[in-house]
Amino acid sequence: MTDDLRAAPAVTARQPRAIHSALTVLEAVAELGPGVTARELSVHLGLPRATAYRLLNLLVADEYLVRTTDLSGFALGAKVAQLAEAVSPVRLPTAARLLVAEARTSLRAGVHIVGFEGARLVIVDEDPDFPLSDRVRLARDPAVFALGRLLLVAQGDTGAVARAAAAELGARGAVRVEHVPTSIGCLAVPIRDAHGHVAGALAFAGPRHRIVEPAAIISHLAPVAERIAPFVT
Amino acid sequence: MTALERAIRRPPLVRGFRATSPLDGLDRRSVGFFDVFAQSVSAVAPAAAATTVTLLVAGLSPTATVTSLLLGGVLIILVARTISQFARRFAAAGAVYTYTARGLGVRAGLAAGASAIIGYGAIAMFALLGGAFYSTLVLRSVWPSLPDTPLVAAGVLSAEAALLVLVLVRGIRLSSRVALIVEAASVTLIVGLLIALLTRIGPIDPAVLLPSADDSPLTVAAGALVALTAYVGFESAATLGVEARMPLRTVPRAIGWTAVVSAALYVLAAVAQVSGFAAIGGDFAASTSPVNDLADAFGLGGWGVVADLGIAASFLACAIGSTTALSRVLFTMARDGALPAGLGRTHRRFGTPIGAIACAVPVVIAAPLGLLLSGIALPTAMHLTLVVGGFGYIVSYALVCVAAPVFLRRIGELTGRVAVVAIACAVALVGTIVAFAIIDVGSGSIAVWVAAALALTAAAAIAWRLRRAPLSALGAYDEPVAGAVLGGAAEHPVDLAPGGTTPGEAEASRDGAG
Repeated sequence: MTDDLRAAPAVTARQPRAIHSALTVLEAVAELGPGVTARELSVHLGLPRATAYRLLNLLVADEYLVRTTDLSGFALGAKVAQLAEAVSPVRLPTAARLLVAEARTSLRAGVHIVGFEGARLVIVDEDPDFPLSDRVRLARDPAVFALGRLLLVAQGDTGAVARAAAAELGARGAVRVEHVPTSIGCLAVPIRDAHGHVAGALAFAGPRHRIVEPAAIISHLAPVAERIAPFVT
Repeated sequence: MTALERAIRRPPLVRGFRATSPLDGLDRRSVGFFDVFAQSVSAVAPAAAATTVTLLVAGLSPTATVTSLLLGGVLIILVARTISQFARRFAAAGAVYTYTARGLGVRAGLAAGASAIIGYGAIAMFALLGGAFYSTLVLRSVWPSLPDTPLVAAGVLSAEAALLVLVLVRGIRLSSRVALIVEAASVTLIVGLLIALLTRIGPIDPAVLLPSADDSPLTVAAGALVALTAYVGFESAATLGVEARMPLRTVPRAIGWTAVVSAALYVLAAVAQVSGFAAIGGDFAASTSPVNDLADAFGLGGWGVVADLGIAASFLACAIGSTTALSRVLFTMARDGALPAGLGRTHRRFGTPIGAIACAVPVVIAAPLGLLLSGIALPTAMHLTLVVGGFGYIVSYALVCVAAPVFLRRIGELTGRVAVVAIACAVALVGTIVAFAIIDVGSGSIAVWVAAALALTAAAAIAWRLRRAPLSALGAYDEPVAGAVLGGAAEHPVDLAPGGTTPGEAEASRDGAG
C-alpha cells in the first residue's frame, strides 16, 4: 500500500521560492531551538503570520517538524536527518563489503546493515537485490521490525516489547519478528562496539518460515556482525 | 556550518515527549489517503442522500432546490475549513470531541462528545434502516412474492448487522477498504444513472433551476438547512487521525474533498431531478421515489433497480463509516477518563478499539431492530433517526466552530480570516438548529422531542460524571513520540508497548494502556 507516496505531491520547479522558504524555516527552528512558537518564528523570519503558519503546518504534515505536546511550539523532526543521510550516505570499507556480500550470496535473502544513533536507525548498507520492504515505516514506526526492537533494547527501553526482545537477545543472540506486515519475517543480530554496547545491527529479512528455527541463520550472521563491527561503530 | 547542519550532526537533547502515544493500541499509521477519504464519504453516503435529501429540500420548493443545496454546500465547505484548522495541527481519534475539548475545555468537550455520539449512533441506525428498506426493494424485484412485513425488514437488517460486526472487529484496513469499494460502486451507479437521465432529458431550461419569484429568501434558507443534513459525516475522517499515514496531510484533505465531492454530486442530482420533472410536467415534491419515476418516464426502466442497489450499498457503507467513527470517539473519551476505562481497550491482533465496539455495536443494531419489531413503519423510523442524528452532528459542528478561534488564540496562531469564518459558521449553524427544530415540530414529527430528551439525558450524565470525580484536561491526541523528534528523549519510559505493532509481545501492555 503506497497511498501516501502516491498522494505526495510530485516535485516541480514551479515554486522554488516555497522550497527556499521551507528550508529557511527549518534553519530558523534549528537556530532558535526546540519549543519555539509560530509567532516567534514569523518575527524572526520577517514573514507575514499567515504565510509562516501555512509553511509550518506543511512542514509538520510532512513530519520534518513536530509540534511540542502543548501544540504551541515546534522542534525538528527525526525525518530531517533522513534528508542529510540521502545527501551523504555512510560507506563501508571494502573488507566489510566483501564479508557482507558473501553472507548475502550464501543466505539468498535480504541482509542489511544499520547503525543506531540515539533513538534513530541509520541505514548503512541496504541489500541491493532484496531491498528493505518499507523504509518509510522503518523510520517512523521501527518497533514493527526486528531492527527497531533491537534499537529499543539498545536504548534501555523498559516497555513490554523491549523486555521481550531483550530476553530473546539473551537467549538466542538475536531478535526476531515473525510477521512484518506481510509474510516476511525479520531477524536482527546486534553489532557491538568496543565496550560491548549494541551500536547497530545486521538484519536478515526473508520468508517467515526461515526464521522459525533461526539457529542456522544466527550462526551464519553472528561472526559477520563481529567482524564488521569495527567498521560500523 | 549552519544551525541546521549542527542540529543534524549533533542533535540537542529534546525532552518533553513520551515514548508512546496516549492513544496507543490502535493500528497506527496503517491506512492511506483513499481509505481515509472513503471513511468520510461513506459516513456522508452521498449516493443515498443525493436522492433522499434532495427530495426533502424539494418538498419546501422545487425551484429553490439547486440554490439551497449549493448554499448548504458552501456553508459545509467553510465548516470543513474550520475543522481542518485542528486536523492540520494534531492527529486525534475523537474528531470534533477532541477538538472542542482542546479549545473550550471539559464541559464543552463532553457536550461535543455526547452530540457526536448521538450523531454517529443515530445515523448508523438510520443507515441500517435505509439499507434494509432499499435491499428489500431490490430483493422484491427478483423475488416479487417477498412479503412486506416487519419481520422481513428485520431479517435483512440482521444480515447487514452481521457484516457490520465482522468488518469492524477485523480492523480498520478491512473496514475502510470495504467502505471504499462499496461507496465507489454506489456513487458510480448513481452518477451513471443521473448522466444517462440528463442526456435523455436533453436541453435544460435554466429558469427551472433558479429560484422563482414565488420563492422568498426564507424558503431558500430553510432549504439550505435541510440540505445540511445531506452533508453531515464529512468530518469523520478525523476519527482516523491515529490510524492514517501522514494524518496531518491526509485528514484535512479528505475532509475538504468530501465536502466538495458531495456538493457536486448533490447539485448534479438536483439538476437532473428538477429538470426531469419539469420536462415531463410532473411534481418532483410529490414523488416518493423520484429517480425511479424519472427512469421510467425516460425509458430507463431497468435502471431503477440499479439505483436502488446503489443506494442500498451506500447505506451499508454509511453504517460501517458511522459506527467506525462512533467507536473511535468512545475510545478516545475512555482514554481521556471521561468514560469507563474498559471502553478504551484495543484488540490484541487487529488493533481495533474493541471495548468501544463491543459497547456501541449492540446498541446501534438493537435500536433499529426494536423500532421495526415494535411495529413502527420503516420510513417513520428512518425519519426519526435521521433528524436526531442531524441534530447531534450540527450541535457538535457549532461547538467545534466556536472552539477553533479559542484554540488557535491559545497556541498563538489565530488569524483574522479564520476567526471570521469560524464565527460566521457557528452563527449559521445555531440558526440552522433553531430553524430545523421549528420546521420539524411544525410537520408534526416527534423527532425533535426525542432529540431534546436525549440532550437532557446527556446533560444529566455529564453533570453526574463531573460531580463523581473531577476530570483533568481532556483531549488526548496522538502526540509525536520521542523517536519522531530529532534528538528526542522520552520523558517517562512508561510501561507501554510502542505503537503500531501487532505481534504478541505488545498484547499484555496494550490492553491495560490508558
